[in-house]
Amino acid sequence: MSAEQDILQELAGREYEFGFETQIEMDIAPPGLNEETIRFISMKKNEPEWLLEWRLKGYQLFKKLSMPTWQNFELPEVDFQGVSYYAAPKNKVKYESLDEVDPELLRTFEKLGIPLEEQKMLSGVAVDAVFDSISVATTFKKQLNELGIIFCSFGEAVQDHPELVKKYLGTVVPQSDNIYAALNCAVFSDGSFVYIPKGVRCPMELSTYFRINAKNTGQFERTLIIADEGSYVSYLEGCTAPMRDENQLHAAVVELIALDNAEIKYSTVQNWYPGDKDGKGGIYNFVTKRGICKGHHSKISWTQVETGSAITWKYPGVILQGDNSIGEFYSVAVTSKKQVADTGTKMVHIGKNTKSRIISKGISAVHGQNTYRGLVKIGPNASNARNFTQCDSLLIGDRCGAHTFPYIESKNNTAMVEHEATTSKIGEDQVFYLNQRGIDSEQAVNMIVNGYAKEVLNQLPMEFAVEAQKLLSITLEGSVG
Amino acid sequence: MTTIATNISLYDSLPELFAEQIGGASYPEARKAAFERFQQLGFPTVKTEDWKYTNVIPYLKNGIGIQLPAAPSLSAAQLEATGLLLPDVYRLVLVNGELQPQLSELPPASKVTIRKMSEAAEEAAFQQYFAKSKKLDEHHFAQLNTALFTDGLFIEAKAKTQVEQPIHIIHLYHSTGNLLVQPRHLWVAQPGAEMQIIESVAGLEQSGTVLVNSVVEAVVTERAQLSHYQLQTSGQHSRFINQTLVQQHGKSLYNNYTFTLTEADLVRNNLNVSLDDERTETHLYGFYLAMGNQLVDNHTSVDHRMPNCESNELYRGVMLDKGTGVFNGKIFVHEDAQKTNAFQQNNNMVLSPDANIYTKPQLEIFADDVKCSHGTTIGQVSEDALFYLKARGIGDVTARSMLVKAFAFDITAQVKIPAVRKRVEQLASQYLTAAANN
Repeated sequence: MSAEQDILQELAGREYEFGFETQIEMDIAPPGLNEETIRFISMKKNEPEWLLEWRLKGYQLFKKLSMPTWQNFELPEVDFQGVSYYAAPKNKVKYESLDEVDPELLRTFEKLGIPLEEQKMLSGVAVDAVFDSISVATTFKKQLNELGIIFCSFGEAVQDHPELVKKYLGTVVPQSDNIYAALNCAVFSDGSFVYIPKGVRCPMELSTYFRINAKNTGQFERTLIIADEGSYVSYLEGCTAPMRDENQLHAAVVELIALDNAEIKYSTVQNWYPGDKDGKGGIYNFVTKRGICKGHHSKISWTQVETGSAITWKYPGVILQGDNSIGEFYSVAVTSKKQVADTGTKMVHIGKNTKSRIISKGISAVHGQNTYRGLVKIGPNASNARNFTQCDSLLIGDRCGAHTFPYIESKNNTAMVEHEATTSKIGEDQVFYLNQRGIDSEQAVNMIVNGYAKEVLNQLPMEFAVEAQKLLSITLEGSVG
Repeated sequence: MTTIATNISLYDSLPELFAEQIGGASYPEARKAAFERFQQLGFPTVKTEDWKYTNVIPYLKNGIGIQLPAAPSLSAAQLEATGLLLPDVYRLVLVNGELQPQLSELPPASKVTIRKMSEAAEEAAFQQYFAKSKKLDEHHFAQLNTALFTDGLFIEAKAKTQVEQPIHIIHLYHSTGNLLVQPRHLWVAQPGAEMQIIESVAGLEQSGTVLVNSVVEAVVTERAQLSHYQLQTSGQHSRFINQTLVQQHGKSLYNNYTFTLTEADLVRNNLNVSLDDERTETHLYGFYLAMGNQLVDNHTSVDHRMPNCESNELYRGVMLDKGTGVFNGKIFVHEDAQKTNAFQQNNNMVLSPDANIYTKPQLEIFADDVKCSHGTTIGQVSEDALFYLKARGIGDVTARSMLVKAFAFDITAQVKIPAVRKRVEQLASQYLTAAANN
């Protein structure tokens, strides 16, 4: 095993591939959180009065709420006053074509393997690139416009479609939901807004790439997706971040609303900087994501591949309010080095004949700690509710951990709930079998892990599945031993 | 985070009561430390994670006293009438935690040492193990028990002895008003010993409601075997909060069978097993029935601290009427506990629209070479199975009741003592048939 160990050691020491920093002039708010900051953000973004008030209300709640204490990891002190809450690229202009976009920025995306122009043409992906909170390029707008689909930055939506924003903002994740959601309400910088009109099937995957860039800036995106009756949309979110020594806070809020017969598919690949092998640096990813199946026969599906961040702490949930609605959650979470992932889902069954399915695959390596925390709640009126949950954990190395905290609450005697969980390590016999066939240990482990995660990866749109597989091997290769 | 519920009368009166009791009480040092710890913890509220679904605060009101009334004299015929007696057993009868030698049939002293807890201070095993259980200080009620326990049983099976007949402990509770009774037990199986203990419980000339807060500390040393049956069968006007803390040494075996088929409106069982050395084996079986307005709460935890241990847990519950079932099973595998095999399953049948079930099977694993799994289900009688039976001319009510019984009897089939199995199955049948006919 020793030669193997060497390779693995070397891989463990591999630096974060996407760790580089772009030099672009930033318009940064001074660090600190107070009403002034919030007014500053609101003013910068030219927001209407009601939104400013909404932000201030969020700030009041933030001051009242206390930090949660139930999580299964040590929550580092977050200095809310040391964070700058607004950073926007300077010389903000509306770009007509990509030629006008700062070439420095385009090069950044290229390094990430996301050449805006070519990839979007070839793959049919409309990319709304969020670069440190502000949209700089929106593509395929015309084609979407023809169908009546609204896909724009949150800021634009506030200007152009205030009635929709006002109607749905904060209806799924209330401002008082948790302290980070309240913080987001107060200081959110930008994000994406999607509205799919009645009966429209969005012809392409909508995609946003987030990227944390400037030093000492937290990112507070806000995404709102509304699928009107009978519509369908698939939304992709992907993230990579440059290397940092200081911890960065990311507290986004995502709200999904599916009306009658609508379907929303939300996929995430998250690969923010996880910190070095001693756990130094790395992003804190404290996200609140929730969808509501408001209409009957609606469906919301979350798929996530979490490979980055020092701490990932999120529970994308679905409120199954409409009769016959369906909620799904597919997750692969990989923790290596000193990473921590406390993630899972909440399925709240309220309507009749509602169904939910949860597939969670955790992979822990080196000192990684992986927690599945989920809630399946069957309300007294949710007749014939059905849930299936499977959460598996794979352990690689003897200093990592895998934990499961599934809460199951049923108040209805027609509900059928199943939960199963397993924890095991990669079988030596499996690796041996592959070794015998000329496959080295590293590749063998890769194959096994990919097979293990396949059920989830299969849920991703094709473009993403490729990236996700790549990320899995990058994150894990360094840890097998 | 623990929010201390202090605005209840019992809590307020405790310091005074404690000061009164401590004077003449045994083991004052342990009691003082425990009481201090209890005052830090307070009574658990629904904000205490382990008590999220079980709100005990309402049960602690109504002027509960802790002064035990004098035990009524009990004739053999009266004891017989409780219906608790089992054949072919050694019998220990306790009234409010105090041993009644005249009604008891003790096992031979050559094999088993039996003492009242209040008189066990001289025993080496007592000194070694009393109030030493891991995690004892995390349990609110166990701390209160250590501080204020009245009496109980010290049982020690001597090394390399086999106690042929099971030891049957009959707990009787007598009260003249609302009463908090706190029995405390310590059982030790010395190396190589084999012992079976059956616990039964009943009320005796009760008035008011008895809240029983009992603690059993059990130590199963090297190569010893202990089988522990908890038959929570009767007990109207009673509430039970049981802590069972087990420590297992190398190559030992511990079996626990918990049957909750009672009329008590609150039953909370905390069963903690700590596997302190290698190659141990643990089996935990439970069946619970929540009827009426009952709340039956089973919290189990298995702590795998050392390598090569095996644990297996199977709990099943049937929820009727407005009953509420709570199950929390925790498997904790420490970093050193490689080659652990841990299995846990919890199945629930909810047969009434007003019944609730909350279940949380929990795994916390810090070692990699392990096989751990858990599963939990909530469901009803299978329509397919029902159809199959009906197609063979079996009526709806009978068919349903057959299926529910089959579900329950998977657990009772694990019972090794025929008389115990018969008693539990009869009782379960009786309740389930009554429910099916409603």
